[in-house]
Amino acid sequence: MIDYEFIKARSLKEALDFLGNYEDVKAIAGGTDLIVDIRKENVRAKGFKRLLDISGLKELEFIEKERDRVVLGALLTHTSLIESPIIEQHFPLLASAAKTIGSPQIRNRGTIGGNINNASPAADLLPPLIALKAQVKLCSVRGERTMSLEEFLAGPYKTNRQSDELMTEVHIPLVNEDYLGNFQKIGRRKAMNIARLNLAILLGINDGTIFDPRVVPGAATAYPIRFGKVEEAISGKDIKDIDPVEIGELASEEMISFTGVRWSTPYKRVALASLVKRALESIFQEAKVDE
Amino acid sequence: MFSTVNKPVERIDAYEKVTGRAKYGADLQFAGMLYGKVLRARYPSAKIKKINVERARSLPGVWAVMTAEDVPCNEIGVIIQDQQILAKERVYYIGDGIAMVAAESLETAARALEAIEVEYEEIPGVFCPIEAKNESPIHPDRRDNEIIHHKLRKGDVNKGFADSDVILNREYDTQFVEHGYLEPEAVVAVPHENGSLVTVYGSVQNIFATRDAVARCLKAGLSEIRIVQNHIGGSFGGKDEVVSSMACRAAILALKTNRPVKMVNTREESIVESYKRHPYKMKYKVGATKDGRLSAMEIEVVADGGAYACQTPFVPWRSVVQATGPYEVPHVKTDTYGYYTNNVYTGAMRGYGSPQVIFANESLMDELAQELGLSPLEIRMKNILRNGSVTASGQKLDRHEVSLAEVIEKAAKAIDFEEKYKRYSKPQSGDTRRGIGMAISYRGCSLGAEAVDAAGAVLSIQKDGSVYLYSGLAENGQGLKTVFCQIAAEELGVGMKHVTFLEANTLISPDSGSTVASRSTLVGGNAVLNAARRAKDALSKFVADQFGLSSSDLVFEDDYLFTLDGKKLISFAEAANKAFWAGVQLSHVGWYVAPSIHWDEEAGKGNPYFTYVYACQMAEVEVDMGTGEVTVLNMAAAHDVGRAINPEMLKGQIYGGVMMGLGYGILEEVEIDEGYILNLNFDNYLMPTSKDMPTIIPIIVENPDPDGPYGAKSIGEPTLELGAAAIANAIAQATGKRIRSLPLNLERVLLGYPLKKGRGKK
Amino acid sequence: MSKIEVNITVNGAKHRLEVGPKERLIDTLRERLHLTGTKEGCGVGECGACTVILDGEAVHSCLILTAQVDGSEVLTVEGLEVDGRLHPLQEAFIQHHAIQCGFCTPGMLMSAKALLDKNPNPTREEIKTAIEGNLCRCTGYEQIIEAIESAANELQAASH
Repeated sequence: MIDYEFIKARSLKEALDFLGNYEDVKAIAGGTDLIVDIRKENVRAKGFKRLLDISGLKELEFIEKERDRVVLGALLTHTSLIESPIIEQHFPLLASAAKTIGSPQIRNRGTIGGNINNASPAADLLPPLIALKAQVKLCSVRGERTMSLEEFLAGPYKTNRQSDELMTEVHIPLVNEDYLGNFQKIGRRKAMNIARLNLAILLGINDGTIFDPRVVPGAATAYPIRFGKVEEAISGKDIKDIDPVEIGELASEEMISFTGVRWSTPYKRVALASLVKRALESIFQEAKVDE
Repeated sequence: MFSTVNKPVERIDAYEKVTGRAKYGADLQFAGMLYGKVLRARYPSAKIKKINVERARSLPGVWAVMTAEDVPCNEIGVIIQDQQILAKERVYYIGDGIAMVAAESLETAARALEAIEVEYEEIPGVFCPIEAKNESPIHPDRRDNEIIHHKLRKGDVNKGFADSDVILNREYDTQFVEHGYLEPEAVVAVPHENGSLVTVYGSVQNIFATRDAVARCLKAGLSEIRIVQNHIGGSFGGKDEVVSSMACRAAILALKTNRPVKMVNTREESIVESYKRHPYKMKYKVGATKDGRLSAMEIEVVADGGAYACQTPFVPWRSVVQATGPYEVPHVKTDTYGYYTNNVYTGAMRGYGSPQVIFANESLMDELAQELGLSPLEIRMKNILRNGSVTASGQKLDRHEVSLAEVIEKAAKAIDFEEKYKRYSKPQSGDTRRGIGMAISYRGCSLGAEAVDAAGAVLSIQKDGSVYLYSGLAENGQGLKTVFCQIAAEELGVGMKHVTFLEANTLISPDSGSTVASRSTLVGGNAVLNAARRAKDALSKFVADQFGLSSSDLVFEDDYLFTLDGKKLISFAEAANKAFWAGVQLSHVGWYVAPSIHWDEEAGKGNPYFTYVYACQMAEVEVDMGTGEVTVLNMAAAHDVGRAINPEMLKGQIYGGVMMGLGYGILEEVEIDEGYILNLNFDNYLMPTSKDMPTIIPIIVENPDPDGPYGAKSIGEPTLELGAAAIANAIAQATGKRIRSLPLNLERVLLGYPLKKGRGKK
Repeated sequence: MSKIEVNITVNGAKHRLEVGPKERLIDTLRERLHLTGTKEGCGVGECGACTVILDGEAVHSCLILTAQVDGSEVLTVEGLEVDGRLHPLQEAFIQHHAIQCGFCTPGMLMSAKALLDKNPNPTREEIKTAIEGNLCRCTGYEQIIEAIESAANELQAASH
């Protein structure tokens, strides 16, 4: 049985002070992952003695568009991402991923900060956020630091957050209209799915030529990462010269180069190739329509 | 023609349910109530060397800690008494209880469980029913692991195969499936209440089966045990033995502490402990002539019974009767077996041994059709049972309409089967492919020759003309209360609002056996009809005397009594009032015994059921060829039910059954690895959501049965037994690949075989 | 364990409670306030039987600690009926036979209510999405969807 003391943070400062004073603290926001972990006594929910409730910190529930980026408060729920006109306009990729998370009840409680910090290999927001080159801001009584989400993730259910730090913001650089994205997900049913595989692809396309490609499968590797070989293979190419089937297969090979052959590989090898092919086809289609 | 029956009247329990007033087992509170919890096994197969409960007993707030030693009679079972209330010396499966506690709070109970020390010695287990056949017996008092062997024999299969132009041999298998009732099991046992030794309230599917278990366990008389059913949050065959066991545990704790004891399973506890649908391994050999007529079938079915016999002696019996499917086959040899293993035990689940064999025989018919160049419709129309046909068990069908051709035709028309089948048979390209498939069935109604088949009901007319009614069968959510009240209201010519239905209670209700086998409307409905007729006869005789008429001159309708030519005589209420004050008996017991049937176990033949229902379901699917995702687009479900007592509730049965069949076909599987259950909650035991459902076309076909109340037969189980088979056939058409094991999940559809994660090291 | 003071409004009634750190909202509703209409089917936010409306949003009461919701307003199934008059959703569930065993019904009603509060004129697909987190093992969802469509129409007509 997991026992803990409950502390409600009334302000960000109070939360940071508390995190600075104690080492055995776990922060709870929406609780949609953590409460389940506590019930199941999962290893990752063990070893804390104090539960710090940050769900009331309204100052971390905002979306703000700046000159070259959008700043998201870590406590934004998935529902607010989906309903935000700013996200809809600039990062439809992120909205489409958020829509596939859990159910309305989960989306109403679960937060972007929670999704990132839980760092599940199958987290639906990680691939699009990595593809969008999101940065995360961490605060502590010692100060604050910002790093890329890619750097922040350290492994399955592992991050580089220090025990006294709290993630307060997510920054997403704006991309111009040359960029087109697509999100794909396979689940075992049509709703309430943990991704069997997911995928975010964001491509810059100028005059039919791909630049700055970002290809991030989820639930394919220990934690979501960019697939450099795939990106390299399509970068600088004209979309007319790209065979999506071939790139799909390349993605599968790259996946296996990271994971080796696991129990699920026979399935994921084929399915990831299909997703990559589909996402590329969909983006290419959109690019042609835009011309 | 009818005033209440055959009408979509409102459910009588709907108001309580939409307002949150309906009380389920876990909602009950009693003064001084304690919370019971069970410590479950750590290994699926082990010896218990030592249990130390001292530390747990000494915790403040703990009232009792008990082990098998404290149970008066530790083995229960409806058919074979081998199920342990708490494991004594030996753990047979991972859901076995080791010890139990009663404490003042759930948290204290949980801490007490953590304080119990158990020393185990692991014993190699048996986890495959085929291997179990030759392994030494799991239960030391048995000769071997065979729980049951049923056979069916017709004609001479050797001759039948010799006469065949085509012979196919195929193997099919199915998975463990969880009932998935939304309400986890819950009971409250109250000592010495209302004249009983102990009363158990809760989500009990079969009050008499649970009563028998509690009485046996406590070594008490049946009349000392009062089981009262509450609102029950779904059952589907599932809240029988597992709830009986829970009721026994709660009763023992209640009597020990002299306090009410509530036991509620968490979902994880429910999944680890409760029995599942039997996985089947099936071998089919079929012979047919060139023109597509079946000449012989030889079938062998092996069911995994798990740790305890439970319903395994009976489930494969329904399978042995129905395994050929609803076809005329001159030569048949079928053998069904059930074996003990150290897996979770298996028992009754909606369908009861039919969905497994239907998946096999209906896949087989499509495979045979393909071999012979026939369409799925053609091969079925050539071979289906019709009026006067003789079934595989040798029963001549001449008492009711054998409506297979009708249900097939209606389903095909509704979903446009022929046109779509042709279209999808042409080469398809692209990421997604479509297919359409069908399955048909016949199903024996009620228990059949398995057991005594009788039921009772009590109906009482009050002096204000209102009526109350109760029966020995119980509401499971399917709408039994409403259907029974409709029958009573129809017969008495009164409005539904005047009829009240009382909950089932073993110290009041007539023992009517179990609410199973889709028998309630048919057998229980006849009992209600009988009770209503008796009460009506008494009232008729009294009123006729008053008016100088004879009983047969009276018509009961719209809360009044009329003459045959429509003259209003007296209101029902006034008639009841006068009759009451004249001392007329207005409370009556109705009883119904099903028509006689027989089964010769030695010869493997007989007339196993007194009537059958017929059904056809068709499914149209889209398959993603790159990911294995299946989308079921449309399903048509045509069911001959004899008579629809409540057409809207009947549709609800069809929609729900189709959904369960879809889950069985493409989603659901309790994953078991060497006896350990891997998916213990709904986060990884996946059931269909609103988004998974196709457009469903329910088709009600009514050919009244001479033995049914108003001609009604059965609907609960037939609705779920066909879906998986129809979907599998549709997927086979779409992909061009035949998959012979369920569920048709992502991996099987994409790769043709399943992938197993394994549980890793403990 | 230290207790936490929580002020919440449930179905319009104000409560001041002292709760433990582990007490979930569903425990508070069922055990303390005796509002047993809210059901627990899984405890992990997968079945939706425990759905209530918290400050206007459908949430799982099994995944929220009561200590977290100080100052909030909660609506449960018991709060739908006002002055003895059923909510149009409740009426529609009865009329459309959207109920069998009834265990999912309270949660289903709350998800439907949360939908109609935000979107009074939902499409069939939006209805399916709104209840995608509410498992029902009996009905196959069809009559539930019909009931919600019908209640939406009813509410629309009433507001004109």
